[in-house]
Amino acid sequence: MRQLKMGTSWVRGVVGDALTPELAVNLACAMGTWCESEPVVVGRDTRRSSVMLRSAVLSGLISAGCEAIDLGVAPTPLVSFAVREMGAAGGIVVTGSHNDARWNALKFLGPDGALLNAVKSEELLDIYHASAYERAPWDRLRRVAMAPGIEERYLEHLLACLDVEGIGAQRFRAAVDYCNGASPATARPFFEALGCKIVALNADPTGEFAHSPAPTATNMRQLATLIGSVDVDFGVALNVDGDRVGFVTQAGEPLSEEHTLPLAALSRLQRRPGLVVTNLSTSRMVDAVARIHGQQVLRAAVGEGYVMDRGLTENAVLAGEGSGGVGMLPATMTFDGLLTVGLVMEQMAREQKPLAELAARLPAHTMRKGELACAPDVVYRALEGYRKRFAGDLLDCSDGVRVEWPDAWLHARASNTEPLLRIIVEADRPERASELFDESMRYARRVAGGYGGN
Amino acid sequence: MPRTLSLKIGISGVRGIVGESLTPQLVTSFGAAFGTHCGMGPVLVGTDSRPSYEMVKHAVIAGLLSVGCTPVDVGILPVPSLQMHVRATGANGAVCISASHNPIEWNAVKFIGPDGIILRPDRADEVTDLYHQGVFPRVTSHEIAEEREDHTAIERHRETVLAAVDADVIRARGFRVAVDCCNGGASVATPAFLRALGCDVVELYTDPTLPFPHHPEPLPGNIGDLCRTVRESGADLGFAQDADADRLAIVNERGEALGEDCTVTLAIHDALQRQPGPVVVNISTSRMVDDVAAAHGVTVHRTRVGEINVVERLLQTGAAIGGEGNGGVIVPAINPCRDSFVAMALVLEALARDGGTMSELRARVPTYAIVREHVGCAARYVATSLRKIARLFDDRRIDRTDGIKVLWEDRWLLVRPSNTEPVLRVEAEAPTEDEAHALVLEALETLCPTR
Repeated sequence: MRQLKMGTSWVRGVVGDALTPELAVNLACAMGTWCESEPVVVGRDTRRSSVMLRSAVLSGLISAGCEAIDLGVAPTPLVSFAVREMGAAGGIVVTGSHNDARWNALKFLGPDGALLNAVKSEELLDIYHASAYERAPWDRLRRVAMAPGIEERYLEHLLACLDVEGIGAQRFRAAVDYCNGASPATARPFFEALGCKIVALNADPTGEFAHSPAPTATNMRQLATLIGSVDVDFGVALNVDGDRVGFVTQAGEPLSEEHTLPLAALSRLQRRPGLVVTNLSTSRMVDAVARIHGQQVLRAAVGEGYVMDRGLTENAVLAGEGSGGVGMLPATMTFDGLLTVGLVMEQMAREQKPLAELAARLPAHTMRKGELACAPDVVYRALEGYRKRFAGDLLDCSDGVRVEWPDAWLHARASNTEPLLRIIVEADRPERASELFDESMRYARRVAGGYGGN
Repeated sequence: MPRTLSLKIGISGVRGIVGESLTPQLVTSFGAAFGTHCGMGPVLVGTDSRPSYEMVKHAVIAGLLSVGCTPVDVGILPVPSLQMHVRATGANGAVCISASHNPIEWNAVKFIGPDGIILRPDRADEVTDLYHQGVFPRVTSHEIAEEREDHTAIERHRETVLAAVDADVIRARGFRVAVDCCNGGASVATPAFLRALGCDVVELYTDPTLPFPHHPEPLPGNIGDLCRTVRESGADLGFAQDADADRLAIVNERGEALGEDCTVTLAIHDALQRQPGPVVVNISTSRMVDDVAAAHGVTVHRTRVGEINVVERLLQTGAAIGGEGNGGVIVPAINPCRDSFVAMALVLEALARDGGTMSELRARVPTYAIVREHVGCAARYVATSLRKIARLFDDRRIDRTDGIKVLWEDRWLLVRPSNTEPVLRVEAEAPTEDEAHALVLEALETLCPTR
C-alpha cells in the first residue's frame, strides 16, 4: 500500500512514495485557489524533503496568482502568527511534524492562522479533486516575497502574553532539545528575553533527527541523560516544527507528554480562568486542574484542527492534547511550543516551585496506549464491536468509541495518520488500567485475526 | 478549422503559455523526467527574466530534487552563459527556462546535456518518453540533495569570450555602442561585457525586473527604439539581443537595422578572412553566406532549422564557424551554441580591423531582400501543403532538407513547418524586396486559395 493520508487540515505521506512534488503542486494550486489568489505564507521544517516540497508549493501558489510569502525554515506557530500579522489569506507549512524522517506533510492554515477545520478542509480537497485550479496569466504572477522582521514581532507577541519580569527574576537554566528542527532561531531570543540560560541539544538544522521527533518520555532519554551532567532547572524537548513540547525534571526524570497540557493549565487558569478544550484521548489530569479553578473541560475529536477549532468556537482559554501540543487562546491559533514552555516557567516562578513539585500535584493516573496494525475495514469492524459491547455504558462515538466510567476510560479509534487501530486506557489504579487494556487489545486482535488482519 | 494548441513539446523543449498550457504540474514532471535522464548529480537551472520564471523555476527544482539530483540555481543569465557553465562545472546537464524570442506570455523549459548542447533529438525523445511513462525513480527523504546557488556563470562566460578574441584591437577603437537587451536575461551581462571591451555603452532596456518593452524577437520592426537611440547618442553601432541572448541583431551608425541575417554573414565574413574553411548554416539562412563563402572558395553546409542541427554538423565537419539567419552565431571552439556575446565580439573585431563605419563594413557583403511570413497550419495538413508547393514548382530544383526549398540562380523560396508553433513558415530571398514578396505571395496563395 502506498503511504498517503489526506486528513483534516493536512496531507501526509512518505516522500518518494505517494508524497510527490506533483501532488504538492496540485495541493498548493488548490490552496491558492481556495485563498482566491490572495497572499499565502509558506514555512518549512528542516527535513531534506521539505526543500523539495517547498519549491513545489511555491510554484503552485505562484501559478494560482498568489503572492507567496516565504519564511524559509520556520516553526508552525510562527507561520500561523505571520498569516494573521500580514493579513494573508492562508498558510502552508511543509512539515512532517512529529512523524519520522521518511514522512512529510503539508499543513494548511486559514486566514485566522488556525489549521483548516473540517468544513474548510473539505472545500480545499473538493478543489483538489476537481482540479479546478485558478491559473493566473503571466501579468498576474507575483514574485516570491519575504517577511523581514516577522520573527521579532512574533517574539514581542509571545512575551506580551507572559510575565517577563517574574520569569526573568528566576534566572532559569534549561536544557533544550530542538530535535534538529525549525525552532532554534526563534527559541534563542525567546529564552534570552526571559533571562533563561540555555544548554542546547540537537540544534543543528540538518533535518537528520537525533531521535524520533515526538516529545515522548522515550524520545527524551538523550535529554534526560544530558541533564544528569549539567546543572539546569528543567529540560524541554520541542518537536521538529515547534508545536509540541515535553518536559524533563531537574533530576533528569522525563515527564510523559500527557503532563504538558495540565502543567500549562495550572498556569493559564490561575491567570485567566476559563474553559479548557482537549481531545477524547487525553489524560484526565487536566480535568483535575480545571476542577481546582472551578472550570470545565470539553473534549473534541483527536487532532489539532478539531481541538483548536472547538476552543475558538467555545471561547476557551486553553486548548491542547495529550501529545504535548498546547495553544493559549486567543493569543495563538495553533499549538505553540515556546508559549507553552513560557506558561510553565511562569507557574514555576509564581509558585517558586521546581517542575517536579508542580508535576507531583497532578493526580497519578495510569495510562496504557497500544496500537494494532490492520486494514481500515478491520478497524471499523473492531470499533463497531466495541460500540455494541459497551452499549450500556457512557459512550461518546464522535471519534471512534470512548467509554467513560467513574474510575477509568477507554478510547478506541482509527489513527489519523496510519492504517492502525489505537487503544488508550486510563484508570485511577494500575490494575484496572491493565485489565481494561489487555481485554480491549485481545478483543481487537481477535477481530483482526477473524478478518485477515495481521 | 482545427484547434491549435499553445503547448508544444518538441526538440526545442516544452513550450507553452503561462496560465493556459505551461502549468507547474507539467513542468514539475518534466523536471523529474529530465532529472531521471541526467542521473543523480548537479543540474544547473538558469532562466531569462520573464515574470513567470519563479513559478517555472521552483517547479523544475522540485522535480529535480524528487529524483535525487542537486539543482544548482544559476539565476537570471544569458542562455549561452548557462550552456558554457554546464561544461565548465562538469554538471550532468542544465534546464534553461526561456521562451527565447516568443512573446512574454510564453515560457519554456529547454534541456541541455553535459556538453552544454541542447539535447539531441534522440535524447530529447528519451526525456519525453520518461515524462509519458510517468513513473519516476523518486528518492527517499534521506537521499534528497541540497539545493545550491552559483552566480559565477556570467563572469566565466565573459572571460572565456574575451580570451578568444583580439580584445585589444577592439579596445583601441573605443566604440560607443547602444544595446537593447529587451530587459531580458542578458540585461546585466551585456553592458559589463561591452565595457570590458573598452566600449562606451548606451544602455536601453537593461532592467531584468521590468517586463519586455517590445516583442523580444530582434527583428527590424521591433527595435525602432534602439535605432533612434543610436542616432541620438551618436553611437558607432547598436546591438539588440532576444530575451535569452542567443541571437543578435545589428544597427548601423545611421540608426538603420541591418536585418538579422547580416549578423551571421558578417561574422562568417570576418572569420573567413582570417582562416578560410567550411561553414555551416541552416536551410533558411540568407544566400549572402553563399556569396561570401564563394569569394573564399569554401563550402557551405546547410542543415535543417534548429540550433542543434547546425551544432551537430559543425562538430561533424570540424567547421570553425556557423549559425542561423535569425542572428545566431556559433563558434564551436568558444561555445558550441548560438552565442550573442561571441557574435558581438566578432562584429566589433571586424569593425575595428576594417577601420571604417558599420555601414561601410555592411557594404562589403552583398545585399538581398528576405521576406518571412507564416500561416497557421495544424500538423495533419503539413504534408498536403508541402506537396502543393512541390507540385507548383516541379520544374525547379528542390531541396528537401527541411520542408520544401525551391532554388533559382539568384533567389529561393522555403516552406517548412515550424519547430515551435503550429504554423508553416514561408520565406523567400531575392535581389529585391518586390521579387521576394512575389514569391511568398505565390506560395501563400497556393497554400490558402481563399485568401
